[in-house]
Amino acid sequence: MRIGSSITLRKKVTSIVAYAAIIVFLALLPTLGLPVYPMHTLIGVFIWIIVASSLRLLDLSGQGSIGHAAFMAIGAYTSGILAKFLGWSPWITMPIGVIATAAVAFLVAVPFTRVRGIYFTMVSLFFGIGVLAVNQVFSKFTGGYSGIGSIPLLFGYDKTPYYYFCLVLLVVCLGIIYRLEHSRIGLTWKAVAQSHSVASSIGINESWQRILCLGVSCCIAGIAGVAYAHYYSLLTQDTFSFNTSINVFVYMTVGGPRYFAGPILGTAALILIPEQLRSLREYVPFIFAGILLIVLFLMPQGLAGLLEQFKQKFARSSKTESVETDDGVSKRVP
Amino acid sequence: MFLDITDLTKNFGGLVAVNQFSMGVGEGQIVGLIGPNGAGKTTVFNLITGVIHPTAGKVEFDGKDVTGKSPHTIASFGIGRTFQLTPLFTEFSTLENVVASYYLHPRSSFWDTFFNSPTYRRNEAYALEQSLKILDLVGLSKVKDELARNLPHGYQKMLGIARALAVQPRLLMLDEPLGGMNTDEITFTMDVMAKVRSQGMTILVIEHNMQILDLCDHVVAINFGQKIGEGTVLEVRNNPDVIKAYLGEQNVA
Repeated sequence: MRIGSSITLRKKVTSIVAYAAIIVFLALLPTLGLPVYPMHTLIGVFIWIIVASSLRLLDLSGQGSIGHAAFMAIGAYTSGILAKFLGWSPWITMPIGVIATAAVAFLVAVPFTRVRGIYFTMVSLFFGIGVLAVNQVFSKFTGGYSGIGSIPLLFGYDKTPYYYFCLVLLVVCLGIIYRLEHSRIGLTWKAVAQSHSVASSIGINESWQRILCLGVSCCIAGIAGVAYAHYYSLLTQDTFSFNTSINVFVYMTVGGPRYFAGPILGTAALILIPEQLRSLREYVPFIFAGILLIVLFLMPQGLAGLLEQFKQKFARSSKTESVETDDGVSKRVP
Repeated sequence: MFLDITDLTKNFGGLVAVNQFSMGVGEGQIVGLIGPNGAGKTTVFNLITGVIHPTAGKVEFDGKDVTGKSPHTIASFGIGRTFQLTPLFTEFSTLENVVASYYLHPRSSFWDTFFNSPTYRRNEAYALEQSLKILDLVGLSKVKDELARNLPHGYQKMLGIARALAVQPRLLMLDEPLGGMNTDEITFTMDVMAKVRSQGMTILVIEHNMQILDLCDHVVAINFGQKIGEGTVLEVRNNPDVIKAYLGEQNVA
């Protein structure tokens, strides 16, 4: 981000136009006769983009989490259980689920943010495992391993309303994340990520900023969680397991955590490519791992950084470009 | 006194890093804190700014007890500081470093910021304008779009001072501002310090480079965590304990 330069403004306008075009295209897709299965896949992509982007928001403040799916689980289970057992409308239980996620996130953030870097990442992992254990203990409500099924659906069996609902959620969540990142709030979070001692020397309440970042990020993950619950209507132990958290982390890393478009591209690529290879189903984990290795070795900036990487390669003359891009993402991966 | 330190003590386990250390800084003064490596100068700085908490003793700033407060609270009282090492947000540009440091004054609320309200935009415009002024003052305008980590060492040090100035402090604490600078840069930095002082700011500075003494109104010498001398530059220069600490025993005789 460069402050107050005309290049920034032009870049901003271009990217806004590009995003608007993609949104309009996605909004028109169902009217062009999108078959049911691709629509189902896209709904999943929308939900996981929200989660991956919220994970990147957390990463902005220097906090890498590999337990993010647990926060999604809190939202999903809260809303799902309330709707199923109390018979409340999903429209009421969904906000409750999001609020519950935010409440838990703020509560655990207070002790969690006392540790930094890799230690925070470890704590997030333990939290993820802890939530699964709680899931076991309260198996009367959560169903334990077998999970909780027939959660009331939001719109019935036609997929088109879900498609639009999730698309709207996606745009709103990404809008919130974009605004946060490109305002002073994001600047402060990035400052905290770079040096906590310098940040506190200029008056930033470093731990509060990290609590805030964790809270907002998990709240957005909770939004994705409740949408998941009332679309798929089935939550099991595996839905929000450690594997899921790692997957989300990989979506973000492959896409490029330095870029806003990173988690969007990463999620889309890593869900849609294996989807195209359904005939090779058993090999999907290998393909997944292969993509991951290729990205880590050949494109340290992630998919979103590819364009800039090429630009840098072919136009070494522009000094500021090389300054901006010669930074390895690997540094931020715990 | 503007800044009053009374009997400050810090133990790290069995090691007494700072022992019953007292000193004062008058408003508008430049005070030097000198001493050999490991004397406890930076520890005193960290104790004042709340990075570490003292075992005993008291720090008062402008009549307020600031002992054991957290660093961000102390910054909000009007104490800006630089660091000896890693003094910057390395992934930010020079300008962003200073703009980000305009965090306290003016300060926009979360919702003002989120909804891009007129108050927020006015505050940001002000921060940008003031940041450019500060960069002008410290001579970094020409590198304002460079990433901080790509700057030469001397510039990074200056940027550290610029960042501390953005807190709009009443007391500026500089930890070895001249460390690793060449002669031109030293002259320039000292000019900046003189300029800042003439605007009414109080400065407390740690330095190894004795050239800094030309600027100081008052000097405190510290060794092994204890004050070994205090007074005007001349007094401290001729203090036998200070000479002993710097040059060794034999030269005294």
